[in-house]
Amino acid sequence: MPTVSDLIQLGSRNDRPKRPEPADLQLKFSDKAVAQLDSLRGHYPEEKACVLPGLWIAQREYDGTLSPEAIAEVAHRLNRSFAEVEGVATFYSMYNTGHAPGKHVIEVCTCLSCHMCGAYRVADSLKEKLGIEFGETTEDGLFTLHEVECLNACDRAPLIQVGDEYIGPVTEADVDKLLTDLKSRPERSSVQISDEIVKVHLQADEA
Amino acid sequence: MAEHKLLLKHADDKAYATLQGYQAKGGYEGLKKAMAMSREEVIGEVKTSGLRGRGGAGFPTWIKWSGIPKEKTDMHVLICNADEGEPGTFKDKQLMEDTPFLVVEGMTIAAHACQADVGYIYIRGEFVDAARSLRKAIDEAYAANLLGKNIQGSGLDFDLHIHMGAGAYECGEESALMSSLMGERGMPRLKFPHAPFPTVSGIWEKPTIINNVESYAAAVPILQDGGEAYAKLGASTQRSTGTKLFSVSGHVNKPGNYEIEFGTSLMELLDLAGGIKGGKLKACVPGGSSVPIINADSCEKAIIGYEEMGDVGSMVGSGAAMFLNEHSCIVSFIWRTAQFYAHESCGKCTPCREGTKWMLKILERIMKGGGEAGDMELLMQITEQIDGRSFCGLGDAAAWPVAAALKVFPEEFEYFIKNGRSMVDSEEARALAPKWAQAVSV
Repeated sequence: MPTVSDLIQLGSRNDRPKRPEPADLQLKFSDKAVAQLDSLRGHYPEEKACVLPGLWIAQREYDGTLSPEAIAEVAHRLNRSFAEVEGVATFYSMYNTGHAPGKHVIEVCTCLSCHMCGAYRVADSLKEKLGIEFGETTEDGLFTLHEVECLNACDRAPLIQVGDEYIGPVTEADVDKLLTDLKSRPERSSVQISDEIVKVHLQADEA
Repeated sequence: MAEHKLLLKHADDKAYATLQGYQAKGGYEGLKKAMAMSREEVIGEVKTSGLRGRGGAGFPTWIKWSGIPKEKTDMHVLICNADEGEPGTFKDKQLMEDTPFLVVEGMTIAAHACQADVGYIYIRGEFVDAARSLRKAIDEAYAANLLGKNIQGSGLDFDLHIHMGAGAYECGEESALMSSLMGERGMPRLKFPHAPFPTVSGIWEKPTIINNVESYAAAVPILQDGGEAYAKLGASTQRSTGTKLFSVSGHVNKPGNYEIEFGTSLMELLDLAGGIKGGKLKACVPGGSSVPIINADSCEKAIIGYEEMGDVGSMVGSGAAMFLNEHSCIVSFIWRTAQFYAHESCGKCTPCREGTKWMLKILERIMKGGGEAGDMELLMQITEQIDGRSFCGLGDAAAWPVAAALKVFPEEFEYFIKNGRSMVDSEEARALAPKWAQAVSV
C-alpha cells in the first residue's frame, strides 16, 4: 500500500483532467447560477477574482465534481484560459477534480490534536466497515473516505466532516450509527457544501 | 489568574450574534467613538493600546494601519484573514460564529482609520458555520446602514464581502491569501524589501491592510474603552498588551477557547482547561503546530507573552496550546506534523517543497521501524536547509517543530531508531498510532 508521502509525491488524488475540445463545450449553468456569477462580478474590481467562487458554483452545477467540462465552462464564462482555471482548481483540496466523489464524502481529520485523541482508531474503523482505503469510493458509490489536515475545531477532536457539517468528538462506537444516518441523507455532500459556500458569498438582496 | 474576557465576554449569549443583542451589550459604541475622531486619532488609540497582530507574527497593528497612504488617490482595500488553518487553532472560528459583529465593527473602525472602500473576509472553505454567522451579521449591518454608503451619515462608504477559500493552508500567508483572493493558486509573492509593502501596493496593486480576525475584533474594546485601558492589561510582560485567545486542545479535560491576559502562565492556562487528562504532563506545543515543542519543565516556567515565550524556546504563535500526556509518542506526533507540512507546501520554492517531503519520508521510515544511525543528524541538516531559505514562512514553520523535537526529546528518536519501536510502550500509545506503524511498535 502506498504511504502518504508517495501519494503526495505522485499527486494521485488529483489526476489531471483532459481539456474538452472547444466544439464539445456545452454550457450547463442554470439561470440561477448565471445570475449568481453576475452578482459576484460586482464584488471585485477584476473579473478574475470570481474564479474561486465560480468554481464553487460549477461544482454545485456539475453534481459535485469539477469535470474538465465544468472547468471549461468557468473558464469560458470568466474569459480565462482552460489551463489557468484548471491550475487553480487543482491547487485547492476542496475542489473535486479528476474523479467524482461518492454520494457521502467522509473526511477524517488525523492531524495533531485528532491524532493524539484517537483519530486513527476512528479512521481504521471506517476503513474496515466500508472496505476502502483513504481516497477511495465504495463500489456502490455511496461513500468516499478522505484523510484531511486540520479542520480547526480541535476542541472536538477526533473530528470528521461530511458536507458542511463538523461531527465530533467521534469514537469507533459512533461509526455504525454515523453510516446509517448518512445513508438516509438525500443530498450529495459535495453538492451541498458547494451550494452553501456559494450562498454565503451573496448578500440578502443578491441571492 | 483567571480568564479575562474582553472579546468572549458575551460569546455564550446567542443574541449577541444579532444586531439588536449586540447593541444591547454596548455594540457599535466603539465605532461611534471612532467616527468622532480623525483617522490619525484612531490609529493613535491603537498605538497606545500596544495591540500586536494576533495571527501569529505579532507585528504592531498601528504601524500597519499608519502605512496606508494619507492622501487617497486610489481604492483602499481591507482584508480580514480568516483562513484559520494552523493545527490546534480554533479561536477565529468561535469569534466569527459567536461574536460576528465584533469582526464587522472592528473592520468598519479599521476602514475609517485606513480610508478603505471595500473589505473582504477571506474564510477557509470548511468554515461554513462561521461564514453563515458572518453573512447574517453583514446583512443586518447593511440593513441598519452600518455598512454600505454613507454609514450613519458620517460620509464613510464601506462595502464588506465574504470570500471563501477552498482548502489550502498556504492561503493563511498574507501574500498567498491575496493571490487566492485575486483568483489564482494560493502561492506567496515577493515581500519587502523585494516588493513594496501591501499598504503601498497590495491586492490588485492597491493599498491594502490585512489583519487577523482577532486583531480586528480587538479594535472594538480598544476604541470603546480607550487604548490606555487595554494597554494596562499584560503589564507584567515586556511588550505584550491586552488579552489573547488561546485554543486549548489535546489531552486536557476541558478543551476550548480561553481568553487570558498576557502574563498568565502556561500552567494557569492548563488549569483553566481542566488540567491534563489520562496521565502526567509530558509536553506542550504552545502556539500552534509551527512553534517549537517544549517539555514539562519548560511548561512550568512558561509565561504567555510574545517575548516571554522565547525564554523557554517557543512562541505565542496563533495561540493554540496542544498539551500532551505521558502516553504520547513524540516521534509519532512529529511525524504527523511533518505530514501536515508536506501536504500543505504549495510547491513554489525548492527548500520547502523538497525538504518537507524528505523530512516526512525519513520520519515515516523511522515510524515503520526502519530508522538508521545518522537519521537524526540528517533530519537536523534538512531543517537547517529549509529554515530561513524558503520563499515564505511555511518552510520555517515546517522546520522548527522537527528541529525542536530533536533537541528537546532526543532520547525518544534515538530509541525509536535503535529499537524500531516507540519508547512510549503503553496500551494508550499503541492505540493512537496508525495501523501500519503499530504493527512494528508492538
